[in-house]
Parts: sequence; C-alpha cells; structure tokens
Amino acid sequence: METRSERIFLKQILAISLSLSACLSGITYAQERPLIEPDVEPLVINEALIDSENFEIGTFVSTINIEDFESSLVYGARLAYHLSEDIFFEANVGFADAGETSAEQLGQVKILTNSEREYTYYNVNVGYNILPGQSYFARSYTFNTNFYLLMGLGATEFADDNRFTINYGAGYQVLLNDVFAWHVSARQHIYKIDLLGDEKNSINTELSTGISIFF
Amino acid sequence: MTKFVICIGALFTAFNSYADGIQKPNDSSWWSFFSSEAEQVLVLRVAEPFVDLRSGPATGYPVFHVSERGETLTIISRKTDWVNVKDSTGRTGWVSVADVQKMQNLAGSPVMLDEPKFEDFNTHPWEAGLLAGDFDKSSVNSAYVGYWMTDNLSLELWASQVLGEASESKLLSLNIVHQVFPTWRFSPFFTLGAGKIFIKPKATLSNESERNEDTLNVGAGVRYYLSNRYFLRFEVKDYKIFTNRETNEEAIEWKLGLSVFF
Repeated sequence: METRSERIFLKQILAISLSLSACLSGITYAQERPLIEPDVEPLVINEALIDSENFEIGTFVSTINIEDFESSLVYGARLAYHLSEDIFFEANVGFADAGETSAEQLGQVKILTNSEREYTYYNVNVGYNILPGQSYFARSYTFNTNFYLLMGLGATEFADDNRFTINYGAGYQVLLNDVFAWHVSARQHIYKIDLLGDEKNSINTELSTGISIFF
Repeated sequence: MTKFVICIGALFTAFNSYADGIQKPNDSSWWSFFSSEAEQVLVLRVAEPFVDLRSGPATGYPVFHVSERGETLTIISRKTDWVNVKDSTGRTGWVSVADVQKMQNLAGSPVMLDEPKFEDFNTHPWEAGLLAGDFDKSSVNSAYVGYWMTDNLSLELWASQVLGEASESKLLSLNIVHQVFPTWRFSPFFTLGAGKIFIKPKATLSNESERNEDTLNVGAGVRYYLSNRYFLRFEVKDYKIFTNRETNEEAIEWKLGLSVFF
C-alpha cells in the first residue's frame, strides 16, 4: 500500500515539476525573442553624405610609334570613372608632333606641312581590373595594384584628316595611397589612312606612364 | 604649347581638390558647398559579429583586420561599392557597402545607404551619355545631355562627330523625346529634332569646300535600365540635310551607348 501511495505522490511531483519547467522555459524563450518583432524603419543615409571618390583625373607622357612617321612624344590627360571594383571608363586626349617618313629624310621632299604633322587623338575606353593585388617595395612599403585591360574607340586627327580609331591595351596601376595612383600602360591605336597612296591600317603603339588623383 | 597647358590645368584642378580634402576632412566632396549636410561626421557601430577591413576597395585585396560587434567606425569616403572607415585606434580600411548596410548608428537604429535604383530611373530629371555607331556608312561618336520635363517628355542636346573617308562632319542638334511607357525597364521612345551639320571635306578632294547645312531628324530607340544609375541606349535616326543644291541629302544613323541619370 505504501509503495502505491508513494508512486501516486511521485507521479504528481513529476507532473508538477514538468509543467513548471515547461512554464519557465516558455518564459526564457519569450525573453530571447519577443512574439512581436519591433518594426524599426532603417535610417536612410543619403549618398551625398559620404564623399565618393569614383573619379580619377591625371596626366601622362608617352611615346607613340606613328606608322611611317617615326616615334614621337605624347602629352596627354586622362579622366576615369570607376563604375564598380572591376569596371571603369576612361577618356584620354593626347597631343604629339609626328616625325618624318624615310622618303622625306632621304629626298628633301615634304609630304606634310608642320601643322599637318600635329597628331591629336581622343578615345573613350572600357577598362577591366583583371588582376587586383599588392606589390611590396623595399621591405616596408605595401601598395595596392591593379592590372587592367582596356578597349575603346575615338578619333585621330593627323595629316589634315580625322579618322575613327579603335584602341586596345593593358595597364598597371599602383595606388600610392587612397588618393594618388601611378600608371604604366601599353596600347595599340588602329585607324585607316590613305596619305601614301592606297588606304591602309595605321597601327600606332603607345607606351605611357602617368599619375592620377582620385576625387 | 596650349596642349601642354591643358594637361597641366587638368592636374592643377586635381591637386586643388586634394588640397581641399586635407583642410576639411569631413567635407571633401566637391559638391559639398551645395549642401550643408556634408559637414556631418558619420559614425556607425558594428552590429554583426564581425566585419572585414580590407587594404583596398575590391575583394581582390587582403583582409588585414576584423572589427568586432560593438566597435565604432567613422566613415571617411567611398569608392564604388566600398567604404573607407577609420576605427577608434585610427586604423583605416575598406568595408563593403553590403557590410555597412548591416551596421547601426550610435542610437542603435539600423542604417541604409541610399543608392540609385530602378525606381529612380524615371524620377531623376537629368541624363547624359556617350554613344557610337554608324552615320550613312561612316563612324559616328556622340555625346548628349537630356532633361526630362515630364515623365514622358524630354529635351536633349546632341553633339556628334562623323568620321568618314571623304569628309569629317560635326553635328549639333536639339531633340524632343517622347517616352511612351516611362515605368518600363525596357523603355521605347520616339524623337524629333533640328540642328546644324558642319561638313569638312578631305583636303585631297579639292573641288569640295566646307559647308554647313540645316538638318531635321526623326528617330526611335530604347532605353534599358542596367543597375545603379546606368542604362543602355540604342537609337536610329533619319536625318534630312537641307542643301542649296538640286536635291536634299538623307542619312540613316544608328547608335548604341551607355547613359547615366542624375
């Protein structure tokens, strides 16, 4: 008899403790996550509040091999706009004075006047930062770098003619800090010319170096 | 020499903007003097367990530090989808915009960076773009700027350079554009314009002289929203060139390019 009453008593204790623990756990659960989530509107930060530095302006010096007209020094300016971490757009304008053809050097004939020798180009390119990375200089300096590919179109004014020009190339950019960058690039300019008889492609290779500033 | 001056001028402008940045570190954006809001310093608190600080503004650059939940970060500037931040010890690094969107302000409210999105495509009045294509079998490069007067009607100013084998032409025109379905992502339009063409024949064609003529154009095209503030634009225009010769000239032009709205 004793054991039976004990059993009933124990059962009751078990039932009470179980329900109590269920209750308590219910309370702690409610503390962790409220049944009604507060509906907080996020604070909108206007984009004008953050200084964005997606533009890059700079100047460059290069040598260009003007087909049939020796190599010349180019002075130019460059404006770039970074669309994303990978893609950017750049516009270049460059000025050079073309040299003489072999025929002019040998035979005292002049094919072009001085003003016709002025070589001016502009182009708008799409660039792709294909290999971003870091470079290390003198043990204690680390620079962020980008190796990029370029392709675009524009125009070349030369020999009293203005021709549609395509250009493509690649460049290497070293970010000296968050504002200044140093570039070296190689690119090919291709346009049609008929100055020396038949129309042909003039392929001009340009090697350039320059600095730029993000703003 | 003048060309050299242009290059130096470009550099000088850039240096100038940099100098401004040093004097007023909280206000280095170039449009800041249009808005007094730019004077505020933006400090945010990390709400996620941690946030990665990278050495540069791209996923290709290494993570050199991790800021933990509760730390505060001061926002300095932004490049594309990366934000330059400074922590309480003065360390600076780059955090992705996606991570900044998960931070809180000092009062504990979630924050959201306001970015141009598709809804802004037909609410921002200005647009500008660069296009290239073909003008009567010659290459054409163009630039334009447009202003939306209503959801459907816009006024555009175009400048184009046509680079042909026999001549080089420059075109200026003013167009009115009608967008039929302004809320569509792929939005067709019709356009009507008037302007001038300046034709410069090549030196080898000595019997031709430089001339400028009036033009009228009619065209159609589409604007296609890409992302952020960018959209593609394609258009075909039929130009009527009014000459003082026996017949007027006609040219078909098509162009494709990228535009931005702002």
